Amino acid sequence: MALECSHLRMPCRLAVAPTPLAALVLARAGPRPGALPLVMDPAQLIGKLSPLPLAMLRWPQDTLGRLARIGVRTLGEALRLPRAGFARRFGTLPLQTLDRLVGRASDLKDRFEVRARFRRRRELLYELENHAALSAVLAPLLAQLGEFLTARQCGVLALECRLRHRTVPPTCCVLRLAAPLADPKQLGALLGERLSALVLPEAVRACELRSGVLVPRVLGSGGLWQAGEHGGGVASQAPELIERLRARLGPEAVYGLRVVEDHRPEAAWRVREPVMTTPPIRSGSQTDPGRNHGGVDRRPLWLLPVPRLLDERAGVPRRRGALRLLGEAERIETGWWDGAEIARDYYIAIDARGARLWIFREREAPHRWFLHGVFG
Amino acid sequence: MSSKSSEAPYAELHCLTNFTFLRGASHPHEMVGQAVELGYEALAITDECSVAGVVRAHVAAKGQQLKLIIGSELRLTCGMKLVVLATDRRGYGRLCRLITRGRRAAQKGEYSLTRADLEENGLEHCLILWLPGQPFSAEEARWLKERLPDRLWIAVELLREGKDREHLEALQGIGRDMGLPLVASGDVHMHLRARRRLQDAVTAIRHNVPIREAGRKLYPNGERYLRERERLAKLYPRELLEETVAVARRCIFSLEELRYEYPHELVPAGETPASHLRKLTEAGARRRWPQGVPAGELEAIEHELALIADMRYEPYFLTVHDIVAFARSKGILCQGRGSAANSRVCFCLGVTSVDPLRGASLLFERFISRERNEPPDIDIDFEHERREEVIQYVYGKYGRERAAIAATVIMYRPKSALRDLGKIFDLDAEECGRLTKVMQWWDGSEVMRERLREAGFDPDGPRLARLLPLAHELTAFPGFPRHLSQHVGGFVISEGALEELVPIENATMEGRTVVQWDKDDLNDLGLLKVDLLALGMLTALRKSFDLVNDFRGTGHALGGLPAEAPEVYEMISRADTIGVFQIESRAQMAMLPRLQPRSYYDLVIEIAIVRPGPIQGDMVHPYLKRRKSGEPVSYPSREVEGVLKRTLGVPIFQEQVMQLAIAAAGFTPGEADALRRAMGAWKRSGGIEHFREKLIGGMRARGYAEEFAERLYQQMLGFGEYGFPESHSASFALLAYDSAWLKCHEQAAFTAALLNSQPMGFYAPAQLVRDARTHGVEVQPVDVCVSVWDCTLERREDGEPALRLGLRLVKSLSRSGADRLIEARRLQPFASVQDLAARAALDRGDLEALAAAGAFASLSGNRHLAFWEVAGTERPLPLEVASEDALHEAAHEPTPLLRTPTEGERIVADYASVGLTLGRHPLALLRDSLQSKHLLSARDLESLPHGKSVRTAGIVLMRQRPGTASGVTFLTLEDETGQVNIIVWERIGEEYRRALLQSRLLEVDGELQRQEGVMHLVARRLIDRTPLLGELVTRSRDFH
Repeated sequence: MALECSHLRMPCRLAVAPTPLAALVLARAGPRPGALPLVMDPAQLIGKLSPLPLAMLRWPQDTLGRLARIGVRTLGEALRLPRAGFARRFGTLPLQTLDRLVGRASDLKDRFEVRARFRRRRELLYELENHAALSAVLAPLLAQLGEFLTARQCGVLALECRLRHRTVPPTCCVLRLAAPLADPKQLGALLGERLSALVLPEAVRACELRSGVLVPRVLGSGGLWQAGEHGGGVASQAPELIERLRARLGPEAVYGLRVVEDHRPEAAWRVREPVMTTPPIRSGSQTDPGRNHGGVDRRPLWLLPVPRLLDERAGVPRRRGALRLLGEAERIETGWWDGAEIARDYYIAIDARGARLWIFREREAPHRWFLHGVFG
Repeated sequence: MSSKSSEAPYAELHCLTNFTFLRGASHPHEMVGQAVELGYEALAITDECSVAGVVRAHVAAKGQQLKLIIGSELRLTCGMKLVVLATDRRGYGRLCRLITRGRRAAQKGEYSLTRADLEENGLEHCLILWLPGQPFSAEEARWLKERLPDRLWIAVELLREGKDREHLEALQGIGRDMGLPLVASGDVHMHLRARRRLQDAVTAIRHNVPIREAGRKLYPNGERYLRERERLAKLYPRELLEETVAVARRCIFSLEELRYEYPHELVPAGETPASHLRKLTEAGARRRWPQGVPAGELEAIEHELALIADMRYEPYFLTVHDIVAFARSKGILCQGRGSAANSRVCFCLGVTSVDPLRGASLLFERFISRERNEPPDIDIDFEHERREEVIQYVYGKYGRERAAIAATVIMYRPKSALRDLGKIFDLDAEECGRLTKVMQWWDGSEVMRERLREAGFDPDGPRLARLLPLAHELTAFPGFPRHLSQHVGGFVISEGALEELVPIENATMEGRTVVQWDKDDLNDLGLLKVDLLALGMLTALRKSFDLVNDFRGTGHALGGLPAEAPEVYEMISRADTIGVFQIESRAQMAMLPRLQPRSYYDLVIEIAIVRPGPIQGDMVHPYLKRRKSGEPVSYPSREVEGVLKRTLGVPIFQEQVMQLAIAAAGFTPGEADALRRAMGAWKRSGGIEHFREKLIGGMRARGYAEEFAERLYQQMLGFGEYGFPESHSASFALLAYDSAWLKCHEQAAFTAALLNSQPMGFYAPAQLVRDARTHGVEVQPVDVCVSVWDCTLERREDGEPALRLGLRLVKSLSRSGADRLIEARRLQPFASVQDLAARAALDRGDLEALAAAGAFASLSGNRHLAFWEVAGTERPLPLEVASEDALHEAAHEPTPLLRTPTEGERIVADYASVGLTLGRHPLALLRDSLQSKHLLSARDLESLPHGKSVRTAGIVLMRQRPGTASGVTFLTLEDETGQVNIIVWERIGEEYRRALLQSRLLEVDGELQRQEGVMHLVARRLIDRTPLLGELVTRSRDFH
C-alpha cells in the first residue's frame, strides 16, 4: 500500500490495529519514532491508545471543550469515565464511538458507491463519412440516454459525443446547456446542430455518448394548450430558440443587454448572458436624484462604441458641413471613481442632410466636440 | 432671457448643508462664506427637516453683509417636497413644531410628515416654496394653494439636466393657470462645485451601496453649488431672480430674537424667585454655619445674590437646587462643580461641599458675566448607577415638551471615515479592517504612506488616490458631521414649550429625546443648560460608606470624614493611590512623590497640574522648584501677588489666567471670559492676536515690564484649551480626599465598593484586589455557599473585615439566576450541586459559569469535578421540581477519577471567569523560563541604579498615549513582584509598532531612569512574548 501511494506521490501513514477506528486514530496520531504503529494484540490496544489526545477522534469542538473542562484530554482519561455518567453528560453517540474504538462494539462499514453517469458506445459495422447519417447512428444511444435520465428523474448540463476514427485521435463534440435537459429529441436536435459544424478528419468507426454530472430535474407539468395556442408556450420556447442559435453560431454570438444605472451613456448598458426566463416587469419609479429620468428619452438608440472627434470651425462643430444645435445642453459630470470620468455638455444636432446626431463638447480644455450617437 | 443683467440680485432660498447628514457636502460656515463672496443678498439654510446647522451659520453670518434665513426642506410621505422659510419668531416656532412632529413620529435619524400634519400645523408666518418634481403633479400645487394662499411660490430649479427650458415653460404655465408666483432656487448641496466627489461619496454612503453601483442615485452633474450671479442670469429670467430677493425681504427672523424663559414653577405662591432663593440660601447658611455666618461670607452672599438678581438667574439656581434636593431625598450622592457651583449660594443650597473658607476665592463671575449675558453653567455629578433616576425625575417634572437633552454632533473620525469610504470603494471587510488598523486609535488624521505600504496598500494606486482625499475632507477641522447623538447629560429646560424654540427628536435610547442643537449652539444663543453627569466614584463612595457604617456602626458621609488627616497625606505622598479618585493615573502617581501634598489645597493643585496645559505651558517645574526650595517669590505688583500667591507665582489654573488679565491688564470680567473661550480655540481657528495687543498694552500701561507681559502671554498660549479650572479641581479634590481616607483606613470596604461599582476608574478588578492584598486585606473567593451578588465584608475572628468576592464577578452568570440562588440558599443551605441546581432552577449556562469560576469548590471540590457534576444535572423543566428519584440517582452516582487541575490551569480559569486570581501571579509560573532568558523582575529593578541597561517582561496593564505628549506611549507592565513603568519614544514605538500594540506579555530592553523617587524604564527594544502565556487570559485597558 505504501508503495502504491508513493507511486501516486501521495503522502501516507499506515497503522494496524484490531479495530478500524483504532487504526485510523493511530494513523492520525502519526508514526511513533521507530516503528509503524502496529497493535496486533487486542489486550494491548487500550494501553496504546490511552496517551493519545482526544482530538484524534475529531469530535465536535463543543464536546471536546466540555470534556476538557472536566480535565479529560486523552483517550485514556475518557475511557476511564463511568459509562452511565459519561452517556448522561455527553450523549450515547460518543460512548458508542469509544466502544467501537476498543472493540466493545462492532464497526460495520458501508460499501462505496460510484456516482452514476451515462456512458455508451456503439461500434459501427461500416465506416461513416456522412454527417446526416451520424444522427441516425446516434439515435439509439440518445434513446438509451433518455431512458437512463427519465428513470433517475435527472437531466444533463453537458453531453459529450466522441467519434472514433481509424488512425487519428477521436473527434470530440461537447454540448453545454443552459438548463438541465433530458428529452432525447431535443438533445438530438442540438447535438445535430453541433455535429453539422464539425469537420471530420477521417471516417467514423465508432461513436460514444458520455453524460456530464447528473442534475436532478424538476419535472414541469404539461401545458393544457398546444404551443402557440391561446398564446401559451411561447415563453417556454424562447430558451429553445436561444439554445439553437447558440449551438449554431457559437455561444458568444447570442447575448442579452442589461440596463445599468449610470449617468454615463457608455456605462449605462452591459452585455449579459441571454435571459432564459421572461424578464419581470421593471417598476418605473425611481429615487430623487434620477429626477431627470425624462432625460432617458433623449438617448439615441445607436451609440458609437467610441465617441468620434468632430471638426470644428469658429467654435461650431462640423460633420459634412456645419452642425446646427437643437435646444439646450445636458450636462453630465460623473464617473470619477473608476478612471472613466466624464464632464460633457451634450446637445442634439442636425447635420446638413437632416440627420439627428447626439454630440457633446468637453467641459475641460481643449473643449473638443465629439459625435456620440445617431438618432434613428 | 436677458443677457444684460450680470448684476442681477440673488438670494439662495434652498440650500442644504452637511447637517442634512450624508446629503449636503459643505459646512454651514462655508456656505455663508461663499454666499458673501458671491454677493448674494440672503442665504436660507434649509436642511432637511432640521435646523441643526443654523446656529453655526448664524455665528458665521454675524457682522457680514448677508441676511441669514432659517428654513427647512421637507418631503412628505406622499412625495410632495417643500421648502418652508420662517418670516418671524412665530413662524420659526411653527416650523420647529412641525419638525418636532415629523421627527418624533419616526425612529432616530428619520422623520415622517403627512399632509394632515401640515394642515394641522398651519405654518402661519412661514413662506412656502413648492419643489415640483419632473414630471410634476399639478394636484400638489392646487392642494397647497387652497391651504396656503399668498405665501406660496413655485420654486424653479434649473440644473442643466437637459430639459431646463421645457421645465421652466411648464412651470410658467401652471403659475399662470393658478396665479402662483415663480421664484428661482438652486437646490444647493455644496458651496463649491469642487465638492462634487464628496457629495457623490456621501450619497453612496447614505444609500449603503458601492459607488460604482450608485448610478442614478447620484446627481448627473455638479450644478448644485452656490452659482455665480452671472451664471444664474444666463439661466433664469430676471424676474425670477428678483423674486428671490422679494421673498428674502419678507423673512425678518433672526436667531438673536430667541429669548429664553426659565421655568418658574419652583417658586411657591406669594414669593418671587428672588425672595425664594434668598430664603433657601439663608436657611442653608444657618445649616452650614450653626454658630452664625461669618461677616465676610454674609457680604459675599449678598454680592452674589445681587449679581444673580441682576441677571435674573434665580430660576436657574432654583432649578439646580430642586434637582439636587431630589437626589438627596433619594439618597443619591451628588456634587456640583464649576465656578457658579462653587459660589456661596450653591454652598448654602447644598449643591457642593466646597467650603468657601477652605477653598480659595473662586471667581464667581466667570460663568455669570454681566456683559456677555451668558448663562451660568453648573455641572452636577451623580452616582453613575443612579443618574437615570434623576433624569427621569426631570422629564417627569417638566414634561417632554419642556425638557430635553442637548445633542452631540458626531463627526467623522479617521476610523469611521475610512470604514464608510472603504465600503463604497469595494474594500472587503478584511481590507477595510486592515486599512482602519493602519489608522490606530491614537493616530492623527494624516495617514502615513509608510503605514499604508506596510499594510499592503499602494498609496498611489488609483483606489487610494481617490479615497484618501475624501477621507481627508471628511476628517478635516471642524469635522464633517455624520449624525446627531445625545450629549452625556446636558439638559435644556424651558418655561414655555421647548419645541417652539428648537426641534426635538428621538434619541437611540428608549425614552430619551434630544434637541437639534449641541452645547456650543446652546451656548452661542445663551440658552440654559444643566449638566447631569454620571460619576463612578460617587457610586463607589456611597457603597463604601454603606459598607463601613454597616460594619462598624459609624455615620460616615460625603464631606464628613475627619479632615486633613496626616496619615492620609502620607499615603498619598507615597503614590500609594490605586483606586483613589483623580490621582490614581500613572502620571499622577509619578507627580505625587515630587509634589508631596499635605493639605486639601495641595490636592486641588495636584489634580490641576497633571494636565497638558500646565505641562505644555512649562509651569510644573517652576512650581515644584519653588515649593521645594521655599525661597520667597517676588511679584511685580500686589495685584499679581493676589492672583498667583496661592500657586507660588506660577499660574496653574484656567481662572488664574483670567484673573491676571483682569488684575494686570485691566480686562473686564466679560473680556476675560472672551479670552478664555478664544484660548480654547486658538490652535484650531486662531483669533487670539487682538487679545495680545490688549493684554500686553494693558500691562505696559500699568507699569509691568515688557518681558513679564510677553512671558505671561506665551504661558497663556501654551495653556491653550487644556488648562483645568480650579472650580472643578476644588470639587474633585474633595472626592479625592474622601476616597483616599477610605483607602487608608477602610481598604477592605473601599475595595469591595470599587469592585461593586465596576466598570469605573483606572484599574481592573485584578489590580484592585492585588493592591488590597498587598495592604493586608484578606480576600475570600467566590463561593456559592456564601457569596451574594455584591462583594461583601465578613467579620474575622479578630473583629476586622475580610473581603468576600461576590457573584457579580462571575462572567456570564445572569443576575436573575444569582438572585434565585441566593433566595434558595436563604431557605436552606445547599447539600450538593444537584440540590443547588434543582432548588435555584439554574440553567446550564449559569451552572457552567459558576463552575468555571470555581464557585462550587465547597460543594464539589475542584473545577473538573464541578463541571462533571454540572454536566450531570438534568435540565429543570418549567414548573417542575426535579423528582426525588432523579436527585437520588444523581446523588449515588460514582464519582469518577478526574485529574486535579494544575496550578497553571487554575490561574487561567480564574482569569477567564472572575478576571483575577487569588493564587499566584501568572508570571510566577513563568519565572524560571524568564530567568533563563535573563529577564529581571520588577523587584530586581528597584535595587538597580540610574542609567543601567536592563531587560524585563511583564503583562501589559495599560497603554496610554496622551494626545499632547508628542508621540510618546506610556506602558505599565506587571509581574508577580510589582509594576514597572515604561516610556516608549515615538521612534521606538514606530519601529516596534506591532509588539507595542498587540502584546499581552511584553519584553522590554531599555535604560533605567530615576528622578525624585520615580523610576521609569525607557524602552529601546520591544518583543512580544505573549505566546509564553499560553491561553492565559489577561485584559489590558487602553486609554486615550
